[in-house]
Amino acid sequence: MDSNDTILGAIDPEITERLVSRRDAIRQGASMSTKVAAGLAMASVPIALAAMTKDAFAQAPASVTDVLNFALALEIFENEFYKAVLGTSSSAAQNTAFAPVRAQVPAAALPVFQQIQKHETQHVAFLLANGATNSLNLTADSFDFSGNRGSGVPGSFARATTELQFLLAVAQGAEDTGVRAYKGQAGNLLASGNRAVLEAALRIHSVEARHASKIRRLRRANGAPGVVKYSGTISGGGAAAAGAGNITPAPDATVVAAFNAIYGGEDVTMQGSVSITGLPNLPAGFDALAASEAFDEPLTKAQVIAIVQPFFKPTLA
Amino acid sequence: MSEGDGNIVVSRAEDLWRVATRRNFLKVLGLGGTIVLMPSVFAACDDGTDGVTNPGGGSAALNLSNDIGILNYAFALEQLEAAFYTAVVASAAFGGMTAEQKEVMMDLRAHEVAHREFLRAALGSAAIGDLALNSANVATAVSSTAIILKNAEAFEDLGVSAYNGAGKYIQDANYLLLAGKIVSVEARHAAAIRDLREGLSLAGTPAGTRFAGDDVVNPQGLDVKTEPAGVLTRVGATQLVTTAISIATPPTVTAATADAPPPPTP
Repeated sequence: MDSNDTILGAIDPEITERLVSRRDAIRQGASMSTKVAAGLAMASVPIALAAMTKDAFAQAPASVTDVLNFALALEIFENEFYKAVLGTSSSAAQNTAFAPVRAQVPAAALPVFQQIQKHETQHVAFLLANGATNSLNLTADSFDFSGNRGSGVPGSFARATTELQFLLAVAQGAEDTGVRAYKGQAGNLLASGNRAVLEAALRIHSVEARHASKIRRLRRANGAPGVVKYSGTISGGGAAAAGAGNITPAPDATVVAAFNAIYGGEDVTMQGSVSITGLPNLPAGFDALAASEAFDEPLTKAQVIAIVQPFFKPTLA
Repeated sequence: MSEGDGNIVVSRAEDLWRVATRRNFLKVLGLGGTIVLMPSVFAACDDGTDGVTNPGGGSAALNLSNDIGILNYAFALEQLEAAFYTAVVASAAFGGMTAEQKEVMMDLRAHEVAHREFLRAALGSAAIGDLALNSANVATAVSSTAIILKNAEAFEDLGVSAYNGAGKYIQDANYLLLAGKIVSVEARHAAAIRDLREGLSLAGTPAGTRFAGDDVVNPQGLDVKTEPAGVLTRVGATQLVTTAISIATPPTVTAATADAPPPPTP
């Protein structure tokens, strides 16, 4: 192997010479080991996986349209949030509100927000083109990013408009909520039988995870504590996983409660009946935090609505 | 070679060398058709002096028409990733990494080993065996910080791509959720590695965007996805694995899966 080449990057998407050189593979495939053959013959569900949590599917089955509409509302929320931060909202009031924090965004972070916002706009367009309806008629003015549903009194999240560290923590929470929301809806899309929409949803889901990872890295490089992992993963659960220790004064009880909901249950170390910390061959120092990082957890639609409703003026259902 | 009804019959080994056959091979696999290799093909195979060594590497044939096969496919990929990061942390190059780079590599090793061991435990007696590795090629793959990060980026993006492509073939909602729990962690890894590489002043993506660059997220805002046959081709091309991983039975494709959105560009 040429050490100057990436081991994967330069491969023609078609099968090219590699298939030619796979004759050993072909030959050996024709005489697969009996152990493998025995394993393949066993189509029943392994006992360990039969106990996989069903919490995410305790919710009532939803139609594809319901899932798409729910996803659209979340994407519009994220899109309008980033547009307000960037000063590109169609609402002058939203742009004005975020002007103080906008002035604090480092030049290096600007293209990050722009790239994320671009994707949220693309997601909105994709969902609208594939069956979603903006039934709540959401616009830039449908949101109260201070978290008080437009009551006229600024909510506890108003600090995101004036404090960079607070803004970044909120952005991280919004992205992670998106990741958890899509994960929680995968079962509904599977049940619907619409595998094309399922694949698209999975592909949006992983983009949201990339966003959340990058925001963590921005925060860590700007003084956030070690629980905000450079690997971009969610370490532990509840408010502690938000890593808000670099925010002074400390977030109030309303914000802490929101972080508790956003990261609630992310600290599980059991997957099905398997204890992740009890597995063999783990590296030295592998602990419950590492186990929590290795698996992301879903949220139900009701859990997601409870988190985001304070930022929506219309009532979500 | 003959074709019909989505099936390909390969009767001469030479057919496998022809571009048209290779293209159809992929197409037919994607459509859930059958590739029939006539006995004459195997008789024509020699011991291979073409660069692929398989000394005692064995083989693993995946039945992707059921969930156990899909999970074994994931298990194979996680084995490869775990082996790579284990080698990274044990490498001489690791000692020369920055504290941030080390933290990321240690985390990724922990997470990928956990994925591997979880899938092994969950699959139980249905699990495929351990993949055999080409130790010389693995050593080359971890021979400098730049090479490590380049390979890590390729692995993580491939992992995201593989889970995104295979999720729709899963039949049980619990397994789909499990795949979802893992794929978002892979995407977090991919973004972190890509961001680290941007720090090395790479050309190619505009500053500040490599974590979710236009090279992996298409204009519809959709992340990379690759069908299993394409993923295994790339795995084979790494030459890190000497076990021959093949698809004995392709995924069950329905009308709904066949019209999945177009793949991203590039």
